[in-house]
Amino acid sequence: MLMAILVSNSAGNILLERFNGIPSEERLHWRTFLVKLGADNLKGARNEELFVASQKSVYIVYTVLGGVCIYIVGKDEYDELALTEVMFVITSSIKDACGKSPSERLFLDKYGKICLCLDEIVWQGILENTEKDRIRRLIGLKPPNPTEI
Amino acid sequence: MAQPLVKKDDDRDEEADYSPFLGIEKGAVLQEARVFNDPQLDPRRCSQVITKLLYLLNQGESFTKVEATEVFFAVTKLFQSKDIGLRRMVYVMIKELSPSADEVIIVTSSLMKDMTSKTDMYRANAIRVLCRITDGTLLTQIERYLKQAIVDKNPVVASAALVSGIHLLQTNPEIVKRWSNEVQEAVQSRAALVQFHALALLHQIRQNDRLAVNKLVSSLTRGSARSPLAQCLLIRYTSQVIRESANNIQTGDRPFYDFLEGCLRHKAEMVIFEAARAITELNGVTSRELTPAITVLQLFLSSSKPVLRFAAVRTLNKVAMTHPTAVTNCNIDMESLISDQNRSIATLAITTLLKTGNESSVDRLMKQITNFMSDIADEFKIVVVEAIRSLCLKFPLKHRSLMNFLSNILREEGGFEYKKAIVDSIVILIRDIPEAKETGLLHLCEFIEDCEFTYLSTQILHFLGIEGPKTSDPSKYIRYIYNRVHLENATVRAGAVSTLAKFGAMVDALKPRIFVLLRRCLFDTDDEVRDRATLYLNTLGGDGAVVETGADVKEFLFGSLDIPLVNLENSLKNYEPSEKPFDINYVPKEVKTQPLAEKKAPGKKPAGLGAPPPGPPSTVDAYEKLLSSIPEFANFGKLFKSSAPVELTEAETEYAVNVVKHIFDGHVVFQYNCTNTIPEQLLENVTVIVDASEAEEFAEVASKPLRSLPYDSPGQTFVAFEKPEGVPAVGKFSNMLRFIVKEVDPSTGEAEEDGVEDEYQLEDLEVITADYILKVGVSNFRNAWESMGADFERVDEYGLGPRDSLAEAVNAVIDLLGMHPCEGTEVVPPNSRSHTCLLSGVYIGNVKVLVRLQFGLDGPKDVAMKLAVRSEDENVSDAIHEIVASG
Repeated sequence: MLMAILVSNSAGNILLERFNGIPSEERLHWRTFLVKLGADNLKGARNEELFVASQKSVYIVYTVLGGVCIYIVGKDEYDELALTEVMFVITSSIKDACGKSPSERLFLDKYGKICLCLDEIVWQGILENTEKDRIRRLIGLKPPNPTEI
Repeated sequence: MAQPLVKKDDDRDEEADYSPFLGIEKGAVLQEARVFNDPQLDPRRCSQVITKLLYLLNQGESFTKVEATEVFFAVTKLFQSKDIGLRRMVYVMIKELSPSADEVIIVTSSLMKDMTSKTDMYRANAIRVLCRITDGTLLTQIERYLKQAIVDKNPVVASAALVSGIHLLQTNPEIVKRWSNEVQEAVQSRAALVQFHALALLHQIRQNDRLAVNKLVSSLTRGSARSPLAQCLLIRYTSQVIRESANNIQTGDRPFYDFLEGCLRHKAEMVIFEAARAITELNGVTSRELTPAITVLQLFLSSSKPVLRFAAVRTLNKVAMTHPTAVTNCNIDMESLISDQNRSIATLAITTLLKTGNESSVDRLMKQITNFMSDIADEFKIVVVEAIRSLCLKFPLKHRSLMNFLSNILREEGGFEYKKAIVDSIVILIRDIPEAKETGLLHLCEFIEDCEFTYLSTQILHFLGIEGPKTSDPSKYIRYIYNRVHLENATVRAGAVSTLAKFGAMVDALKPRIFVLLRRCLFDTDDEVRDRATLYLNTLGGDGAVVETGADVKEFLFGSLDIPLVNLENSLKNYEPSEKPFDINYVPKEVKTQPLAEKKAPGKKPAGLGAPPPGPPSTVDAYEKLLSSIPEFANFGKLFKSSAPVELTEAETEYAVNVVKHIFDGHVVFQYNCTNTIPEQLLENVTVIVDASEAEEFAEVASKPLRSLPYDSPGQTFVAFEKPEGVPAVGKFSNMLRFIVKEVDPSTGEAEEDGVEDEYQLEDLEVITADYILKVGVSNFRNAWESMGADFERVDEYGLGPRDSLAEAVNAVIDLLGMHPCEGTEVVPPNSRSHTCLLSGVYIGNVKVLVRLQFGLDGPKDVAMKLAVRSEDENVSDAIHEIVASG
């Protein structure tokens, strides 16, 4: 299960969060934990450099993309390697939606599009689509290219 | 948290002209959502409003029921628009709003229309939305379309239906299970993602059918999965099949191993890693099987990607627990990870090295760890300390360098948990490695010179008091202990006084010097410290001369208190100051059962200072002591057996009563342990009236009432019966609790003077033959059996009737006989159809008995048993058969 996808700006303010299977009373704890993890480790990190951590049976993969930080939390079959795959899909789709690694402003400008991308990538905690070109077409309600299948 | 967690739009100073969502407010956005109702829809404007709504929702904002309903109804109007971008937003919005069952109906027809639309993408999205919001009844209506969609030629539609199936399987399994033919077809799809989703769903549908999973794996492992993701799933399902067909291991023919091994050469790292991990987790994996997996994991250790390094070191760390030698080849790569920027990776590398390192590499390793320790957090340090402790126990000869390391890190900065872990480790090493004792104690002494944690100081002082006097030169510790009396808070000072007194009591030569120090403590500002000093000075005796301390004084001062502290505390609270001094002999010794919630997790080994002191003497000794102290029972002779407590009341009743059956040669004593759970009541003169009309061979000879039973302070009352000597008499007893009840004023805690006599019915109690058999084990059953000889052997066969399992039948017979299972034969291997269980015991009259039970399944559930008994007395052998025959 992909338990959470969280995007914050570099100051730790939440821009976007999607939780699956985490009760609302525990969400604040996760927000705080993830943002602290980023504050401790992401300073000076290279763009898209991947970081990994584990907390009990849960895995976390996080990174910096332009002006935003992205955190993904998973458990069971979504271990660190599966999360890396998910992270790759998310970062490439965001770059695709924004045209480049987004600044915070650009991320917010393309907010609706990014929400649609995430909707195609993760559905209630399960990975659905993994190809950025396909995702780009799907969010425009266009069928994927036959060559991509 | 390093940064304040505020919403984006609250951070106005820096971002004043920055965010497109600046100043966004829920109320205003809900107002804006009215544009959805315009007759002339503006798709662009509507999309913007939906984006704002999504922004609010994605920031954790929640809508009230009314707000959500209003927005939902407005959004459904947008189905009128033909704008594709807007339609896509509408789908997302409906999913985010998750309308309630009564609202879903509004949107169902629009979605159904989209689901049968010619536009593929409408179909795919409508399926996803419908499955998200639908319930069981609607699902049966759309099931037909979903089944078609699973095999749709458009992969997006098929994937949408398959992923919907995965979700719906949780809520409507019986419907989704009907789709397995279609899903099976989708597994063969050319589209990679469709195959991945179909495989996941098919496995979930069939996960309880071992044969079907086996077939699925067999067919797919022959071909190749179309995506790395599907290949990973296949590897996982394959390991499951291997686990479940573990029986083939004996033949050396592990199914599917070649497939796993082949996956180690896959081009995707994800697949390679999954296969390597699956191999390392195989049951009873051999080193030949492990080698290729370890080799690829070793390559990952030097990968530039932290995720791969982490995954590899995490897996190798697990392997090191069971196959340390297999991992030693990776030690050089692992050592370079100690300096990895990612502290999780570094800690895993270190703890793995500590598990796999050999004696000669310990010193080098410790040098590397020393540099590493300063820049990791306490939680990682604790893991390292625990690993070092295990290493030291593994290589006791290295205790000097490991102990030095522990003492060095003990001096550095750190929180309580970390310091406690170090101190616990030193204590365990002192206990387990005699050569490490003196240096370890000195390290602890140095630590308390500058210890900021009262708890740790007092625990160390207590430990010093036990171990210090047994060393070659106890006097060297006195300075450290006495320093505490000058420099610390009252709690630590009191602990130090007790420790000094222990040295005085145990080391006669030190006594005069200890007396001088204790006398100085008489002027302490704290009562407890002064009281302790006075007590020790008066009881140790000898007036400071070099004389031996009496054993009884040592026992009184430092012996274990065989009374539960909570009982002593309750009795002291209930004691009313009077002429009559408090008598510790009246404190109940029965340990009150802990409420379930307070019980510690079972199986956790107590460690270090946190470990409880040696427990009270064994239950039998305690019972014997207790019974012999009661004059009425003093002449009953030696106690043969005491049963486990049998509950006579249900849980959570007003009065909780259980009974222990004490068996003597010619008597039986029932010890009723009573607890009063009503705060407003005081019970007095508590007795149990026993009706033994169904136990003809028993005659009541004595009864010892309980004088007073205050709230929550357990007490005991006894009833004794005479029975024919040496005979295993059996019978049934009915019990009635009789007492005088007095009301207690809750505000003052005082009881009224007058009470009322009352009775309380208890459950019946039985004395059975198993009560006359002691559980006594033998070290070698075969030898014991043969030396006993076949003179008084009795063999017979019994049918035990249908049973749930063989294990259940075995346990039932063990319980019936009350004998000791030998050589672990009480454990029945799963799926066995026959089992032999060996029991030993001592029958009343001190007659040794051995039992060999052979069980077999007769038909599907019927259990048959052959019982062979050998004993020193043929009557006893017969008696055992009678127990089984009548049980």
